[in-house]
Amino acid sequence: MIRGEHLTKVYGVGSVEVRALDGVDIEIAKGEFVGVMGASGSGKSTLLHMLGLLDRPTDGALAIDGVDVTRLSEGERELFRLQRLGYVFQDYALVPELTAQENVYLPSKVRGMTAKECTVACRGILDQVGLKDRAGFLPGELSGGEQQRVAIARALVNRPALLLADEPCANLDSRNSVLILDLIRKLNRELRQTVVMVSHEDWHRRYFDRVLFLRDGRIVEDEYGGDAPGTA
Amino acid sequence: MLEDEQVALFLAARLIARGNKGTLLLTIMILAMVFVNLIFLPSIIAGVVVLFNQQTIDYSFGNLIVEPKEGELRIAAPVQLVQKINGIPGVVASTPRYTTGGTVVYRGESTSPLVTAIDPAREQEVLRIHTKVRSGDYLSPADTGEILIGETLAGTSRSGGDSTPTLGGVAVGRIVDLTLPNGVTRQFRVKGILKAGTSSVDNAVFITRRDAASMLGEADPANAILVRTKTTGNDDAMRLVLMQYGVQEKIWTWEDKSADFLESIVGSFGIINAISTGVSLVIAVVVIFIVIFIGIVYRRKQIGILRAIGIGRSIIIKSYLFQALFICTCGTLAGGALLLAVLQFLAGNPIVFPGGPVAPFLEPRLVVQSVASLYAASLIAGYLPSWLTTREEILDAIRG
Repeated sequence: MIRGEHLTKVYGVGSVEVRALDGVDIEIAKGEFVGVMGASGSGKSTLLHMLGLLDRPTDGALAIDGVDVTRLSEGERELFRLQRLGYVFQDYALVPELTAQENVYLPSKVRGMTAKECTVACRGILDQVGLKDRAGFLPGELSGGEQQRVAIARALVNRPALLLADEPCANLDSRNSVLILDLIRKLNRELRQTVVMVSHEDWHRRYFDRVLFLRDGRIVEDEYGGDAPGTA
Repeated sequence: MLEDEQVALFLAARLIARGNKGTLLLTIMILAMVFVNLIFLPSIIAGVVVLFNQQTIDYSFGNLIVEPKEGELRIAAPVQLVQKINGIPGVVASTPRYTTGGTVVYRGESTSPLVTAIDPAREQEVLRIHTKVRSGDYLSPADTGEILIGETLAGTSRSGGDSTPTLGGVAVGRIVDLTLPNGVTRQFRVKGILKAGTSSVDNAVFITRRDAASMLGEADPANAILVRTKTTGNDDAMRLVLMQYGVQEKIWTWEDKSADFLESIVGSFGIINAISTGVSLVIAVVVIFIVIFIGIVYRRKQIGILRAIGIGRSIIIKSYLFQALFICTCGTLAGGALLLAVLQFLAGNPIVFPGGPVAPFLEPRLVVQSVASLYAASLIAGYLPSWLTTREEILDAIRG
């Protein structure tokens, strides 16, 4: 599903060189729910951005779903993000002027679905995240947990190969965090959805099939859970 | 419609419908003001030019001016020529004139204005000077020894700062001495004071051709025939018609006669107009640019996120173009309504220039040009900031 070799990201600040990622090798199988953990500045967000094609590695190779993404042009990366990746942000990142359904509708419409297909897909995914009855509400009229569920629905509406979540519970209370993690876990199980999620909360570990610990831009620990699908 | 445009339109419509109404209204109002600014001053200037043109026709030349043949100083048999011209299709009336220099003296004050000898009855069918008698009366066909004096020349005007010699305040009923270039002097009673707002009347004196004939010792002196045609604007064609009907004298249009003066005025106003239009357009571009740019900067993170989830640059740019077009359309419509209200107001309360009341003259070409300019400005102002922002690295945009 994902194969990364010697992934390196170097930021130059004047004469100072910062190695955000320092030769990371990574392999993730389809259907795995992988947690990326580590201290602040360890490189976990950089890794996620790279997997999400929001950033390019300074060095190394990266293949997602069999495609060498490092060779893609900007336009091809745009299309790849639309068709094969789903992204959930820390702060939900919904368009405030669009209703929940319209936020979900947008990427499916861009993908070229007909209005009818979009509506069916949107209703289906909103039903799966438990927001069927809140479809016509604007983000400002929804709670933080509900907004994050809309964001998850938006990320999944195009049935992506890979769902990337950047600390999706960072702005939520414990109750809502549990709801979101349960939901992601459920979708991972039911849809065999590959998920890579950045987290700094230790209690999230129980949801992951596998945890990658990063320190100073390197994977220092690769810990599999008992029921990780990729290891079954 | 293509998929991208559909999505862009969908986004733009929602952003407009559910975005900040106050900002939207303010932007539309600014656009409306810019639209009014683009049209108002040029239409006033056009109105002034129209006024000058009309004054030139009404108080100085009529539509056509017939002058003596090459090498001659007088028009032979002017009354017969006037009758001939009056029979030509498209001609309303014509009138003979004799214009010369002269000296007018009143109580020791002496001036040397143009002296125009007229046929009062015919003159009224061609020019409108008779409507501009400020005091006293206009000349009658049977008058002898009566003179009309322009207000500026009479010295009753309080315009001030004018170094032109005047008659020091001569009034109706007073007697002045008029001397023609042949040395003949005669006393005239001031019958009326004229005020037309144009120097060809306000700085001149008018007597009857009968008096001029008597002073010059000529039977029927005329060195011009002024012609009024049914419509203005086809003066060159009418000149040809007169020639085709056998008028062998030199024929000029009013535009030929006033070319230098009008070209100077129109040229000067044209420069003012061009500067005003240019400044207005720059203001329009800058205002639209700032408003849309602020909107885009405010949504910079959102644009980054839209791109992160796979919404293409072109869709985002087009959605801002659609918004700019919507704002421009509303601004133009609101500006048009505002402009109509202003024009309606000015129709009832005209701006009074020295030459008379000026009504703004709305040229369709100017309106089309202004609308096109505003749309072009809006498209540039909508495109540029969205293009710049979507060029940014996605992560930089998301981080704000």
